Amino acid sequence: MSWFTWRLYRNQSALATGLFAVLAIVLVISGLHAAAVWHSALARCAKGACGGQIGSNLSLSNSAISTLVVATTAVPLLPGLFWGAPMVAHELETGTNQFAWTQSITRRRWFLVRTGWLLLAAAVTAGAVSALVTWWSGPSHALQSNAFLANRFDVIDIVPVGYAIFAMALGIFAGTLLRRSVPALAVTLAGFVGIRAFVAQWLRLHYMTPIFVSYKLTSNFTPPGDYLGVSQGILGLNGKPAVSNYNLPSINGVPIPAGCNPNGNPLACLAAHGYRGYMTYQPADRFWAFQGIETAIFLAIAAGLLGITFWILKRRDA
Amino acid sequence: MTAVIETDRLAKRYRRVIALNDCTINVPQGRISALVGPNGAGKTTLLRLLTGLAAPSAGEVDVLGGPPRQEPEFLSEVGFLAQEIPLYRALSAKDHISLGAHLNPRWDPESVRERLGALNISLDQAVGTLSAGQRSQVALALTLAKRPKVLLLDEPLAALDPLARRAFLGTLAEAASGGELTIVLSSHLIADIEQLCDHLILLASAQVQLCDDIESVLAQHRLLTGRRKDTTAIGRTHVIVRGDSTERQTSLLVRLNGPVIDPAWVVEEATLEEIVLGYMSKDNDEHSAGIVSRPSTIGGGR
Repeated sequence: MSWFTWRLYRNQSALATGLFAVLAIVLVISGLHAAAVWHSALARCAKGACGGQIGSNLSLSNSAISTLVVATTAVPLLPGLFWGAPMVAHELETGTNQFAWTQSITRRRWFLVRTGWLLLAAAVTAGAVSALVTWWSGPSHALQSNAFLANRFDVIDIVPVGYAIFAMALGIFAGTLLRRSVPALAVTLAGFVGIRAFVAQWLRLHYMTPIFVSYKLTSNFTPPGDYLGVSQGILGLNGKPAVSNYNLPSINGVPIPAGCNPNGNPLACLAAHGYRGYMTYQPADRFWAFQGIETAIFLAIAAGLLGITFWILKRRDA
Repeated sequence: MTAVIETDRLAKRYRRVIALNDCTINVPQGRISALVGPNGAGKTTLLRLLTGLAAPSAGEVDVLGGPPRQEPEFLSEVGFLAQEIPLYRALSAKDHISLGAHLNPRWDPESVRERLGALNISLDQAVGTLSAGQRSQVALALTLAKRPKVLLLDEPLAALDPLARRAFLGTLAEAASGGELTIVLSSHLIADIEQLCDHLILLASAQVQLCDDIESVLAQHRLLTGRRKDTTAIGRTHVIVRGDSTERQTSLLVRLNGPVIDPAWVVEEATLEEIVLGYMSKDNDEHSAGIVSRPSTIGGGR
C-alpha cells in the first residue's frame, strides 16, 4: 500500500521538491544577505555610529522577497488542495476505487496508509518551508520584534505544520463527502481561508487572558519586545476601559470634558482631567504557548475531520 | 455441490429507487454464469453487492461462506472487473502488476505478462493510451492474477469488437478450465456468452426471473404455435412466459410442467436467445399494458 501511494504521487512529489528547491535557493541567498546587513549594522552601532538606534528603516531585503515570504502563508494549503481533495474524489470519479478496493486490502488499511503518507507529506512540506522562513526572518525579527504579527506568526515555527495537516484533512474530508474533485477543491480553499482568518483575527487574541496595562495619556506605551495587541483605548473615570479611539464625544457614556475638543488633540486635556490610557496585550514570553495552542487547535480539527471521513467511507457504498 | 454464491431475498434501494428486489439466486462452484437482463435490471447492483462494494438494504448475501466482508482473506478470493474498466490511466500495465504484487497475497505476475505478451499488448505504455479492447484484457489479466475463487465481471464485452471479444472469452474459458473458478459475467450478448456459460441468471424488473443451469433452462421451455385460440387451458398446467397473437395464429413461450398434451399445438425447442428475449419482453408488455405494477428501476446500471 505504501508503494502504491508512492507510485501514485511520484511525479507530483518531484514537482513539489523542485519548487521547494527554488524557494530554498532564493531564501538562502536573500537570508544570507539580510544577515550580513544586520551584522554590519550591529558592528556600526557598537562603535556608536548609529546614535543608539539601529533604525527601523534598515533595509534587510527587497520587497519582492518580503512579499514571497508573506506568500508562504499559502504553502500549508497546497498539499491539502492538490493531494487531499482528490484523494478519494478522483478515485470515485474515475472508478479506480473499484480496482483499489477489490484488491486484497481492506478499505480501512487503504485509507489509513494513504492518509498517513499524505499527512506526513503535508507536514514535511510545510515544516521545511517554515524552517526556511523562520531562519530567514531572524534579522528582521531582531530588528522589528514582529513575531506576533499575523504575516509573521503564521509562517514561522510550528503553526504552519498544524495548518498543513488541517488543510490535508479538510481536503480528504471534502473530497469524500462531495465525491467530486473540483467542488472539493473549492470547499477546501474556502474552508481553509475562512477558518484560518477566524482563528488569526479573533480566536488567537483570546488563548490566554491578556495583560492589562494603564498609562498616562500624555506618554505612549509599547510593550517590550514581541507582543500581540488585543485592545487599546481610554480608561473612563470609573476605571472601565472604553475600547475606542480618542475622538469620541463621550467615554463610556460620560461626555468628554468641555474644552477637550474631539477634533483637536484632546489627549493632554483628557489627561489633565484624570483620564488614563490602557492597553491589553499578549506578551513576548507567550509566543511558544500561542504557537502550541494554535497548532493543537488545528490538529484537533484535523483529527475530527479524518474521523468523520473514515466513518463515511466505511458506511457508504463504494 | 456447494453454492459459492447464494442470496436470499436480497434488495437494494437507492433513496426512493429500487435497484434490486427480492433477489434469490444460487450459483454452484465451477459454474460460469451469465447474468442477463435489460438495462437497469439490477445486474451491476447485484455484482456490487456480491463484491461488498455496496451493502444490501434488505435480504442476505453469501459469498464463499459468509457475507462479503472487509477482510483480506475474503477480498483476495473475489475478483471484480467493473464495467468502466477502472485502471489508473497514467500507470502502465507493468506498474499495475507491481501494484497488485503489493496488494495481494497470492499474486501471479507471470500470468499477466504471458497473457498480455500473447496478445501483443505493451506492458510499458500508460494504460490510458491503450485501446478499449487492450485495456479490458489488461484489467482481466490483472483480475485473474489475484487467483480468485470467484470472478465477477460487469459487462466486460460491451466495449469490445468481435475479435477482441473472442480473445477475451478465450482467456476466460482458459481460466475457468480448471473447474475451480466460479464466474458470474453480465452481458447483453447472448450469442457470445452461450458458447462460454453453463448457467444463467436472468434479471428483469429488478427481480430474478430465472436462475438455473442453461441445460435445464433449455429443457424447461418450449415454443408453442397453433391456430388462434384461448390460452387459458394451457396456462393452467404450464407457465406462459409470453404470448403473441395475430389474426390467425397464436405463439407462446411456455415454461413446462410436464408434457404438452393438446395436439393443436406445435411444440418446438426454444433457443436461449428466444427464452431470454421472451422473459425480457414479457416484462415490457407488462409495463406498457400496466397490468402488473412493478417497482421502477434506475438507469445507468448502478
